[in-house]
Amino acid sequence: MKKVIFIFVLTMFFSNLTKAQNYTDFTLPDLEGNDVKVSELLKSGPVWLGFWATWCTPCKEEMKHMNTLWEKYKDKGFTYIAVNNDDQKSLSKVKSYVGANGYEFPVVLDTDQKIFEAYQGNGHPFSIFISQDGKIVARHLGYVSGDEKKFEEEIINQLK
Amino acid sequence: MKKTLLVLFFFFLSLPVFSQISIPPINLKLDASVNNTLRYGSGYEYFGFDKESKEYFENITDARFTINDVIFGLRYEISDPIEYGVDFKGFRKRYIEYNNDIGISLRAGDFFDIFSRGLTLNVFEQRELAYDTGIDGVRVTYKNRFGDKKTPWDFRAQIIGGNLEYRDFLILSRVEKYKLRNINFDISPVKQVKLGASYIYATGEVPSGGETTDIKAYLPEVNFSVNLKDFQFYSAYSRKHINTSPNALYPVEISANGDGFYSSASYSKSGFGITLEYKNYRFDLTAPDNRSADRPTKMLPFQNPPTAVKEHTYTLISRNPHVVNFNDEVGGQLDILYLLNDKLTFNFNAAISSEHYQYTETDSAGIQIFNRVERSANFLPDLNDAFNPFWEIFFEADFAASDKWNFKGAFSRQSSVVYNQSRPLNSEKLFYTTIPIEIKYIINSQYALKLNVEQQWAHNSIRSGEKSYMNQYVSLNLTKSPQLSFSVNAEFTNDKEEPTGKDFWAQGEVLYKLNQKNTLTLSYGSERGGLKCTNGICRFVNPFEGFRLLLMSQF
Repeated sequence: MKKVIFIFVLTMFFSNLTKAQNYTDFTLPDLEGNDVKVSELLKSGPVWLGFWATWCTPCKEEMKHMNTLWEKYKDKGFTYIAVNNDDQKSLSKVKSYVGANGYEFPVVLDTDQKIFEAYQGNGHPFSIFISQDGKIVARHLGYVSGDEKKFEEEIINQLK
Repeated sequence: MKKTLLVLFFFFLSLPVFSQISIPPINLKLDASVNNTLRYGSGYEYFGFDKESKEYFENITDARFTINDVIFGLRYEISDPIEYGVDFKGFRKRYIEYNNDIGISLRAGDFFDIFSRGLTLNVFEQRELAYDTGIDGVRVTYKNRFGDKKTPWDFRAQIIGGNLEYRDFLILSRVEKYKLRNINFDISPVKQVKLGASYIYATGEVPSGGETTDIKAYLPEVNFSVNLKDFQFYSAYSRKHINTSPNALYPVEISANGDGFYSSASYSKSGFGITLEYKNYRFDLTAPDNRSADRPTKMLPFQNPPTAVKEHTYTLISRNPHVVNFNDEVGGQLDILYLLNDKLTFNFNAAISSEHYQYTETDSAGIQIFNRVERSANFLPDLNDAFNPFWEIFFEADFAASDKWNFKGAFSRQSSVVYNQSRPLNSEKLFYTTIPIEIKYIINSQYALKLNVEQQWAHNSIRSGEKSYMNQYVSLNLTKSPQLSFSVNAEFTNDKEEPTGKDFWAQGEVLYKLNQKNTLTLSYGSERGGLKCTNGICRFVNPFEGFRLLLMSQF
């Protein structure tokens, strides 16, 4: 138990010292085959990366709310990118899920999880919010009802 | 001393973060990120009726440094004792990667990868099963867009060379070793069409029956996909040829061929989506007496094609996963999503699969001989018991009654047969019917309550006593956005042949987000355990009773 306390304290100490990190740029094709490049999208405003999978129920709940926020703020420069992490087992269902729900935000496929790895994701849903100047201003792991309120506050702050 | 090293390690990792340097004349950009997972558990693990004290401590630190276009990655791990697997202390993974703007990416060290849908190459890690097929080697990728703006075409090529050590997660002392060479590419002559090909040459050492068999494997693959606005089609075919070197166990050289075909089609429009998947895996077709998990001509651990069965999230349904036999399985899956309106969504899924052939058994001078019964429709599954069939029907309705209430209900029926070749009447026939119900109530903008109740009826034909029994699961979850989640769950069974002899399990769990960077989960109680599967192999996770802690951090 001593080891647990030691690691716990160590983690708390260092995590509170760190500053906002720079984003990692990437280009991936969306479901229609069009390239989506984060650095291009940042020119018009902040970018939210939402890592999700079709087998992840909270991811789909979160995505529903993110769609509402994207519809509300996209004209002000906000971009939401749904980064899909379905593996080969469920990949074929991604497009029909997105199409049936009528989602129009960009959905990119990160099947080998290279982008997920680059952002050090360790669970789903996982979100990264990047300010227009390229800093990671928020990270969220998991989703519970009501989180969308906090997400909206963060988006408004970045659009100011 | 170890603690000092750990502190220094953390400090070293964090250093660039405190000072993201950007020196204009050199244009040096330095960045770092760290992901730490701490897992601790203390209690008892059940092995049938016996229970043994169990304690584990695992701390995994993944660090990533970026200096301009170069990335260094490290994983420092202390698993002492590990929850499942082999204890480890030290650097588990390390790599260096270089990416540039002209489309070249180089990586040396450890990596995971998948080519297309994984028929020939899909290496990954599943920690809870101690499953890791990561490659230690070199990967070179080139991708670029050619042509003019109106008619561009894309090209991507990759070369991989490296070593792979696959530790059998059912027999931890058994390790298969491979040297693997792969070249793969894909080309998109137009945006909607992609053609791909891959070729793997591997040599391997496969331990089985006290001997190690040297193998040479050759795996070519081709695939094709069309991606239109509402319609998507994908198809892939792979062959596998293996030559073994003679040894005491296999005195004659074996030259075995196998293949696999996978295809999917999906169509969607607003409010409706349909996906159809078909699989025909024959990577190692052989008679029942020849089958074993360590057979040197089996599907290789760096392959992992799509399973074409539904991945469930409900607790009781997911406890009886279908174990896909990639060496011999044909079948498919249909999935339909229908949104009647903004409030009501339906999901229907049906899956079916079986082996390709049945075998007859003859006794010739005291020697059992299995003869394959040929059939022309071997590209379709057969529900006859002799084909070890599996089928499942799943239906789910999700109704958002108001801003505050959400109801979800589902029905699942699963059936599988484990055929007994010698005594067909003693074949194991399993049926599960499950009805899960989920009710969610949003109390206010911060608080929400979710009740999940699952009822399962099970039937096992070969039991000597009561063949039918039932399982019940209930969980209540209270969340406070954005930082707190509290849940209690309980499970009951009237199964007289439950391995532990228990009939009731209960557990409480608290998840607290200490801040954006740290999430702490604590749980206490008893867990029933059950089957966990990957790559066609399942491990029974033993029941556990006690305390667990999980701290996930990112900085």
